[in-house]
Amino acid sequence: MDAQARSVLYRIIRRIPNRNIENLLKRWNCLSADQMRALDYTRPKWMIVEHVISFCEESRLGLKHVTNLEMIYRIENPDQGIWNACQLAEAQDDAVCVELTQFKEQFKAHLHGVIRHISIKMKKHEDEAIWIRIAWGDNFSKPNHLKPTYVVHHLHTSYVFISNLMAKHKIFLCQALVIATKHGSIKDGLLSTKSLNAMRDLLLRRYQQVFPNAHSRILQERNTLPSFPCIGKEHRDHEEIRHQMACEAFGHGAMPKLETAVYRLETRYKGNSNYTLSDKEEFFRGVVRFSSSSLLESLRHCVASGMAEGPVTPLLSAITQRGRNYFVITDKGPGVSSQASAQRA
Amino acid sequence: MEGRGSAVGTPASRPVTRRSKSYGRSCVEAPSYFWQTPGHLTVLKIPTSRDAAKSQIITNKVDPEHIALLVKNEWKLSYVTPLHCFRHTQLKSYSNHLSAFIVAEKQQGVAVEVGLEAGFKVTFTAVLGLAETDEDAETVFIQIQSKPVFAAAADAPKVVWRGWLTCVNGDPEYLRSLPPDFVSLPLFCTSGPESLTTLVKSWFERAFDCNFGSLALNSTTLNWLAALWTGCHPTCNIRYLKLAWSLPTQPPLDVSYTVNPQDAWELWNSIHTEESTDDRIDIKEVQSFMNGLETHFFRHFKIYLSAGTLVKVSTALGSAQLDGKIKIGNSDYITTLLTLLTECALLKMLT
Repeated sequence: MDAQARSVLYRIIRRIPNRNIENLLKRWNCLSADQMRALDYTRPKWMIVEHVISFCEESRLGLKHVTNLEMIYRIENPDQGIWNACQLAEAQDDAVCVELTQFKEQFKAHLHGVIRHISIKMKKHEDEAIWIRIAWGDNFSKPNHLKPTYVVHHLHTSYVFISNLMAKHKIFLCQALVIATKHGSIKDGLLSTKSLNAMRDLLLRRYQQVFPNAHSRILQERNTLPSFPCIGKEHRDHEEIRHQMACEAFGHGAMPKLETAVYRLETRYKGNSNYTLSDKEEFFRGVVRFSSSSLLESLRHCVASGMAEGPVTPLLSAITQRGRNYFVITDKGPGVSSQASAQRA
Repeated sequence: MEGRGSAVGTPASRPVTRRSKSYGRSCVEAPSYFWQTPGHLTVLKIPTSRDAAKSQIITNKVDPEHIALLVKNEWKLSYVTPLHCFRHTQLKSYSNHLSAFIVAEKQQGVAVEVGLEAGFKVTFTAVLGLAETDEDAETVFIQIQSKPVFAAAADAPKVVWRGWLTCVNGDPEYLRSLPPDFVSLPLFCTSGPESLTTLVKSWFERAFDCNFGSLALNSTTLNWLAALWTGCHPTCNIRYLKLAWSLPTQPPLDVSYTVNPQDAWELWNSIHTEESTDDRIDIKEVQSFMNGLETHFFRHFKIYLSAGTLVKVSTALGSAQLDGKIKIGNSDYITTLLTLLTECALLKMLT
């Protein structure tokens, strides 16, 4: 085992609690039954690592096996680091027919063609997700296995999830993805979060959605009447409307755990009207950041409880509807200052 | 401090044991405020206007090394009642007393070899020049260094705790009403482990018969700071005006709004015009400024920020949190910040 294999192994084992090490090694299935029995998980981490390394040397295991262990670990613990979403566009007619083997071959062939030193590993996870681990090198240096890029893609969907990608490698990866999935282009999805699951659930709409229905529309129409004879009923109706509006925008029940949403405001000042600032042509620039342990649930509660005025603004509902959490907001044009559009950064 | 307030109102509940703990107090006391620090209980009014922040090169007045001590850390705020018989000439002996006290408290119940007490070294320093008026007492800076028992002889002792007591532009009427034996340094800022803060506080309470309480800021103070700091922008780049709110949704929602400094200043300038010669800022202008920012936010997101609480204000000049933590970013505006905080400490102490 070379130094790089040792440090990769050490990094994996350092991150996991001692009690989980045995399970991981079992699934790795590279150590013999005797070796597994000989490991004592009550020992300090560095001792366990030394043991595993000596067993690896006994069994002539190398970097290839260690990176496999890392993939197993990453797939089981996906909510690490920051994940970014990318969206494929302009699908070719045969994009829906792409198979795993074909994807694999095309993807690898393209990257090996443009970069001399690169290590690519692919694994298909139970839930149909393809996990790709890429260690990048260049013409003069060997692949760096300590900073691998992880890519997750579900075949026949238009989303790709990427973690730990350096800017200089982005173009190569994007080209390979476009070619292998038979699409015309790929663009930044403007969604980033720590949780791969949250990102996937949000974009693939794996959450309970609520759609506008006739009932709610009737309520809204009636609401425009001046007043109700019974205030109690009026309040209940208001509450119901708020709840309906909140659920339409942010879903019902447990939602994907998104942590943040960022809005870069480049709009005209729209505050108190008696100040001359509102006449100015220049923008009132700022950045608004919402954060919560579960942003969508917070926003839903915010609307349902009346801390926000309904109907929900398109700026906020765009998080679920467009599957993004980064927006640049500009005025739609001169004169239309009440409406803002979310444009691509 | 609620306990104090109720004790004044109902003398029967006054804890009698306290007298035995204090010592060295010989002055005549006003009977109605028996265990209150004697002197007139002036009712401090919350000011509705104050001077605009003025830049002053503080290092012309104060030793730059001393200023450097105040600038880098995050400080937790407390208030402290006037110190009895505190003398700025005795700082050296206070250093020794406090070191001895900390060592004694730390070693309680532990058998130690004689001569090993040198674990903590306390230094009191007078930071001269921060005081603005004749009534203000000079600031006192305290630093605790520690040397681990097993450290090599060459190892330099590490600073483990810092704290300072200050009074800048304290209410002159109140300060003049104090009897001569008392020194008022109402604002106490600390940075370091809570256990040491507790020890320092209890030493002060015993040595100077004073009382500490935690100093949380309120949203009005944060509003003031937002406006005062924004007003500094033409002379000193504030780089950003960042406001943070917390909304009581489930789970809680944090909203931060970072405003471009130039745009924030232009909004402020449209509210607070520079026509007046004395350059006083009125609370109404401050409210209008904050209101303007909240309205602009509302027009976009339809969220009522007033349903939540403003929890933090920060610019490159400094930051202040609702729970009483501050950072000083630029020493040129330190006087404005400390004036405001001294006032908060005095108000908190007397209510």
